[in-house]
Amino acid sequence: MTANAPLLELRDVVPSFAETGLMPAPYNLRMMPGECVVIDCRDSARAAIFADMCSGMVSLTQGSIRFMGLDWSTLRDRQLNALRGRIGRISRHGSWLNLFGTHLNVMLPQLYHTTDEFEDVVEHATQLGYRFGLPGLPITAPDRLSGADLARAACVRAFLGRPELLVLEDISDTLPEESVLPFFETVTAARDRGCGVLWFVRSPAAWREYRKAVNLHMRLLDEGLFPMRVV
Amino acid sequence: MTDAPPPTTPQAGGGNGAAPPEATPHAEEDNRFVQLLGRFAPWLASIGRLTRHQVRFTLLLIGAGWGTLRESLRPNSWRRPVRYEFRATLRQVVGGGFLSIVITATLAGLMVVSQAAYWLGYAGMAQMTGSILVSVLVREISPILVGIILMGRSGMLSLTEIGMLVLGGEVRSLQVRGIDPFLALVMPRTFAFTVGGFTLGMIFSVVSLLMGFVVAHANGVITSSVWTFFFNVLAAMTTWDYLVIPLKFVLVGFFVGLGACISGLTVSSNDTMATIMPRGFARGIMLVLVVNILFMLDF
Repeated sequence: MTANAPLLELRDVVPSFAETGLMPAPYNLRMMPGECVVIDCRDSARAAIFADMCSGMVSLTQGSIRFMGLDWSTLRDRQLNALRGRIGRISRHGSWLNLFGTHLNVMLPQLYHTTDEFEDVVEHATQLGYRFGLPGLPITAPDRLSGADLARAACVRAFLGRPELLVLEDISDTLPEESVLPFFETVTAARDRGCGVLWFVRSPAAWREYRKAVNLHMRLLDEGLFPMRVV
Repeated sequence: MTDAPPPTTPQAGGGNGAAPPEATPHAEEDNRFVQLLGRFAPWLASIGRLTRHQVRFTLLLIGAGWGTLRESLRPNSWRRPVRYEFRATLRQVVGGGFLSIVITATLAGLMVVSQAAYWLGYAGMAQMTGSILVSVLVREISPILVGIILMGRSGMLSLTEIGMLVLGGEVRSLQVRGIDPFLALVMPRTFAFTVGGFTLGMIFSVVSLLMGFVVAHANGVITSSVWTFFFNVLAAMTTWDYLVIPLKFVLVGFFVGLGACISGLTVSSNDTMATIMPRGFARGIMLVLVVNILFMLDF
């Protein structure tokens, strides 16, 4: 990745309508390292698809998406997976495997993509867990945890390691009030070291307190992606 | 640059008074062929669709089998979550199937060993007991029974787990995080089934022979010691048997595991448990039998 190059760039991207259901209109977005882009979208399914598209999971009929200077469409499987390993993601649905305990679910991307010592990964995850209000790393299966604890664990998983990009779907309805401030602090800390943040929200209340630190506010509608004025 | 000369041939549907173009015999023949093709095209398409649908699983299995072997040779493929999945599946396959294998082997031993020993002794062919047991019980029956138990106890579980992960969107979620489901789920499980198939197969062979000996000895059909009995069995085995018998257990485990994982990974959004399970069961039985029949044909 060259200096002053955008971290994430969507250039006249037209997604496959049959695959995504997204309007086949050109989408444009440019995010520099350390920037925070808030995308307002009431429909969480559409937001998830758009987030997938930014992660190179969706076939395009036109345009290109570049992450860290690399075009998703030109990469092979192993490169794609390695690059996706640099993205921290919070998903609203279908992101927990009940085959493993929650602790393994949280550490899975780190254990898969890095050669960091297991103890170091556990320690880092535990510290993040404390920060978000967990008493440690939950080892029970995810389907036995409450929605609030799952939201906390989702935050731990997304911020674990040193992601280059955070793609955050809106979990403000399940994240407990006392975890909101640590969430903002962790986002800011990540941005300070150059991590970009793509944050999908469903209502202004979710990001009101962070409004001043946001670089770009956009709205994802049926018709496409539109920039809004940050007040 | 000079002007282009006016066209000398009349154009179809051209200007006023132009004669309608006459169809040449060759063009008429072409037209008839296209019409004929148009009439049969849907039939041909449906035959092609049916053929592709029928061989799809076989082709998938061949491709996935090759992919599994190739990927397993790369040290980079055996990352920590992959090794964890391998250990967990191996524990489930061997631990979950152990009791079933012991019981089935005992029953098979009672039936086959004691009956073979009795009838061969009755016919004055007691010296053939070893070779009959090796060829019937160890080489032919054991891989089939081990394969069926492996599929019922663990294969169906893997199929359901992976199928549900696909339908629930968790597999896509893995991909979003850069975790290849083939490496994380299919490859370790397939190798766990392979190792498990060999382990359970060996346990099955020993237990069935031992239990058969115990019963036959108790009835007085066999009067030699257990060591002599096993020595006779081993002496009846050829060099080829030492290769084929473990290979059958390994291949049965490999294909049962691979078939279950691939069937789970390729479920469609229209599938439910009611459609996934019977399909997986039928495919598993077919794979167990195909592996055994292939060896039977060649050797």
